[in-house]
Amino acid sequence: MERRNLLTGAAALGATAFAGPAISQNVAARTLRFVPQANLANFDPIWGTQYVVRNAAALVWDMLYGVDENLVPQPQMVEGETVSSDGLTWDFRLRAGLVFHDGTPVLARDVVASITRWAPRDPMGQMIRAIQQELVAVDDRNFRWKLSRPYPKLKFALGKTGTPCCFIMPERIAGTAGNSMITEYVGSGPMTFKRDEWVPGARAVFERAARYTPREGTASWLAGPKRVLVDRLEWVVMPDPATAANALQAGEVDWWESPISDLVPLLRRNRNILVDIADPLGNIGSFRMNHMHAPFNNLKVRQAVMMALNQQDYMRAVVGSDTNLWSVLGGFFTPGTPNYTEAGGAVMKSANMDAARRLLAESGYANEPVTCLVGQDQPLLKPMGDVTADMLRRLGMNVDFVATDWGTVGQRRAMRNPPGQGGWSMFHTWHAGADCVNPAGYNAIRAHGDGAWFGWPNVPSVEAGITEWYDAPTPATERAAMDKINTEAVSNVVYVPTGFFKSYQAWRRNITGVVKGPLPFFWGVAKS
Amino acid sequence: MNPVAIPPGLAIAEPMPDVLPPVSARRGLIGFLRRYPTIAIGGGLLLAMLFVAVFAPFLWTKDPTSLAPALRTREPGAEFWFGSDMLGRDVYSRVLYGARVSLLVGFSVALFASAIGLAIGLFSGFIRLADSIVMRIMDGMMSIPPILLAIALMALTRGSVQNVILAITIAEIPRVTRLVRGVVLSLREQPYVDAAVASGTGTFMIMWRHILPNTLAPLTVQATYICAAAMITEAILSFIGAGTPPIIPSWGNIMAEGRALWQVKPYIVFFPAVFLSVTVLAVNLLGDGLRDSIDPRLAKSL
Amino acid sequence: MWAYIIRRVLATIPVMAFVALFVFSLLYLAPGDPAAVIAGDQATPDDVERIRASLGLDRPYLVRFGEWVFRILQGDLGTSIFTNLPVGHMIQQRIEPTLSLMIVTLILAVSIAIPMGVVAAWKQGTWIDRAVMGFAVLSFSVPVFVVGYLLAYIFALELDWLPVQGYTPFSEGFFPWMENLVLPATALGGVYIALIARITRATMLEVLQQDYIRTARAKGAGQGSILFVHALKNASVPIVTVIGIGIALLIGGAVVTESVFAIPGLGRLTVDAILRRDYPVIQGVVLLFSFVYVLVNLGIDLLYTFLDPRIRY
Repeated sequence: MERRNLLTGAAALGATAFAGPAISQNVAARTLRFVPQANLANFDPIWGTQYVVRNAAALVWDMLYGVDENLVPQPQMVEGETVSSDGLTWDFRLRAGLVFHDGTPVLARDVVASITRWAPRDPMGQMIRAIQQELVAVDDRNFRWKLSRPYPKLKFALGKTGTPCCFIMPERIAGTAGNSMITEYVGSGPMTFKRDEWVPGARAVFERAARYTPREGTASWLAGPKRVLVDRLEWVVMPDPATAANALQAGEVDWWESPISDLVPLLRRNRNILVDIADPLGNIGSFRMNHMHAPFNNLKVRQAVMMALNQQDYMRAVVGSDTNLWSVLGGFFTPGTPNYTEAGGAVMKSANMDAARRLLAESGYANEPVTCLVGQDQPLLKPMGDVTADMLRRLGMNVDFVATDWGTVGQRRAMRNPPGQGGWSMFHTWHAGADCVNPAGYNAIRAHGDGAWFGWPNVPSVEAGITEWYDAPTPATERAAMDKINTEAVSNVVYVPTGFFKSYQAWRRNITGVVKGPLPFFWGVAKS
Repeated sequence: MNPVAIPPGLAIAEPMPDVLPPVSARRGLIGFLRRYPTIAIGGGLLLAMLFVAVFAPFLWTKDPTSLAPALRTREPGAEFWFGSDMLGRDVYSRVLYGARVSLLVGFSVALFASAIGLAIGLFSGFIRLADSIVMRIMDGMMSIPPILLAIALMALTRGSVQNVILAITIAEIPRVTRLVRGVVLSLREQPYVDAAVASGTGTFMIMWRHILPNTLAPLTVQATYICAAAMITEAILSFIGAGTPPIIPSWGNIMAEGRALWQVKPYIVFFPAVFLSVTVLAVNLLGDGLRDSIDPRLAKSL
Repeated sequence: MWAYIIRRVLATIPVMAFVALFVFSLLYLAPGDPAAVIAGDQATPDDVERIRASLGLDRPYLVRFGEWVFRILQGDLGTSIFTNLPVGHMIQQRIEPTLSLMIVTLILAVSIAIPMGVVAAWKQGTWIDRAVMGFAVLSFSVPVFVVGYLLAYIFALELDWLPVQGYTPFSEGFFPWMENLVLPATALGGVYIALIARITRATMLEVLQQDYIRTARAKGAGQGSILFVHALKNASVPIVTVIGIGIALLIGGAVVTESVFAIPGLGRLTVDAILRRDYPVIQGVVLLFSFVYVLVNLGIDLLYTFLDPRIRY
């Protein structure tokens, strides 16, 4: 027992009349209590691209492929695939014995319907659809995808961790239109979702799925067998980090996804708690600009901001004084990966306010207001917003600071009106490092104007570089393409990265099997 | 008391001990303050806070919004008297400048709610037709818990000091209206009001000369309580994230920003909490003292 | 007397009507577009228009208000924009913790505050009086969340007597349920205790000066009997009034307390909904709280007739 229960001790003597059915010791030992990074407000992983929804969805739904810790897609629901010699026809065969939680078998029809719902909402999926000739279920276990041009990264698109992931749902659920939310949560993944115990904002409960058949192999991130070693998983939502820290120390929860770095020394002092880096691929902070309207439609203004921006300030503000946790970026891609490049990124690595002021003056900036949307309820974004307001003011720009909640930011950033009429000039966000390793799945670096991610940057040279990367036949040409993308993205300021940062995760000593990764992986985790 | 000659043969009972001990009387301003020490203490503390708020720039403070992430979360010491917060800002400066916002919110809400509530209460107390409608509306507004009302109103607009003042004022008006209307209703039956009506004095003059002065005393006392409640409400709004934007330091949002760290760096929450508590205490003491000096019976209804 | 009761009950209807009007207008006045939120990040303007039409957001104010009231009267509080769950269901999931917290706080506060006020009035002017009143004013002044954090730190973390956070349903046993509520109720109750104690003291002071108290004393009644039977009964009207009004304070304080102690109650639901602009939920919860508050005050008004037979309207 980790806590002395003063009252329950006394009560045990004489209050059996009051005691109701209590959870037995055994069940409690097989229940994992986890504090997620955010509230699970809704549970449609195609409709909403939040990371927390994906993390929960990965338990309930399975995918055709899954990337391993080297970001190589491995077959998961698929038994194998054959590609025609011209690279245009892909034939897939599903594993035998795949079953949904309601007992119905997984058929190729369900796969086709799921892909059809997912593709329009995912940039890689959109690219594939643009060259798609046919996607059809050949029989119950086989389906075929015919393209008009080769697309070598197809498996990666189906198995990546970047949202939205291609989760496979029953046909009737996948038939829900992309911009309505699904209402049934039935999948073929390792856990079932207890809908009746879901209290949005407080708790979400998952139970081990009896019918799940893991594939053979070694488990690594989304690849291999997903063996769940606990009976029950409870997500306990705790918006207050101080409360979460206390709960972890008292043993009332077992695993905290993202403790804030200032509380980590406190947790480390506790003999029962282990703390480690959550994801070696980290995250890239973003100062996202609106290229459609003034002032950031002016290249020199964007460059001035990039020159003035001090990544060290942002990183300290976001993750604290622990230098193990952050580093300064010389580009747009994830450090520590084989293709990381700093080509053309020297201007990002230091801050020069005087030169920035001069450049701003040259640009012809006419004191247009910079409407900054900052989500105050996001512990990573609020400090970035504060640093930005200070930096832009010192640079000499007219700051219109809109302190609001992340939901409103999400809404307003989709508006293409000018800032003064309900639009925006900049907002802060961050991207998981796993999504920024290369252009595949890296929505934020795409610069094809109206179809691009919020901000709608229009930089043909970056797009050219991305196309070269997709078409690159050898690693050397890939490398050259990435250098080109980086240089062009920096000099045209697609957005301004605010730094590279990692975060910690913390768990109690009696929990084993916790691994590092871009999302918390619950398979292989046991509680003693 | 002059002793009265007691006729022989008359038995007089023992004087009953008073259930309550008698209160001794004093004279003059000093006597006044000594008799009502709560006014002295409360008023003194409040004046000190006002001084701090007004003269904040001259009290060895730095710019409360200038951040220096390289110097974040330093303990209180020579460089940062109250320590530095998560962005490297000086907590001492923020707390002193924060006094401005918190006091501004408190006084503004008290002033506006009193003024508007007074107007509506007088109007409603005098004009019977309006009375039922107005009181139903006030009852309706009072049914919505003031914090929820304030938060909901804040959800409609952007966070700013003016909007916070507006939201809390709207939430506090019904109580003032009720109070004023109560006084008006009770005074309306007084003989001198009848006399004024009989002699042809207009309604407005009656309100102005006879009713209004009598409402001022309980209104003033109520205003102090509203001031205290408004300061706490502002802190709670900031705590939740629906209050003044963080660019403008207020005690509430300094505490809100520091709450995650309060176990490792308690000073970020501690100093604004102490300042807020002392100020609210001062205002409450002042209100209690004023009420006791005017009419202790008011304690029953306020 | 029945006429009075019926009149009071009927009087609540226009009040609730006003509350309903106000709450509905919140959604109408609010900036932001629920249709855009529901449509999601990747929606086209056509999708948003379609959703807006399906939600009926393009119809005139009175029509929408009428429909909304009609649905409410049938018990349908609408559907949350963010979670797609019925608002009624979401409220039902969260109501037990908040109700438990408020009832426990109420009982705790009343049972501490009234004796405090009585003793302070009895010993007026002595150090006991000053201490009690000093404590009351202090409780009134320190923000609820500061008290909450301190209590959690001392009793839960350092001394390890009580849990840090969370809520255990009553069905799992009385003592586990109570354990989770002791600290939050204490933090929340501070302000309430202060309020009730002050009113009790003030009213008792006046009552104790009355002639009938002297009479009781003369007849030889003991001190305890005088204080608690004769005096308190006559002082009960203002005290009960304040208890009723104070419930609004409790609701407000519950919002913060639930946040600090991670209690999955209505307070947190409301705050989350307000910050996210989830208007159906905001409407549902504010309506519910107001309704409860109106009922409680109605109950208190009716209670007056039993406490003080002189009150007849």
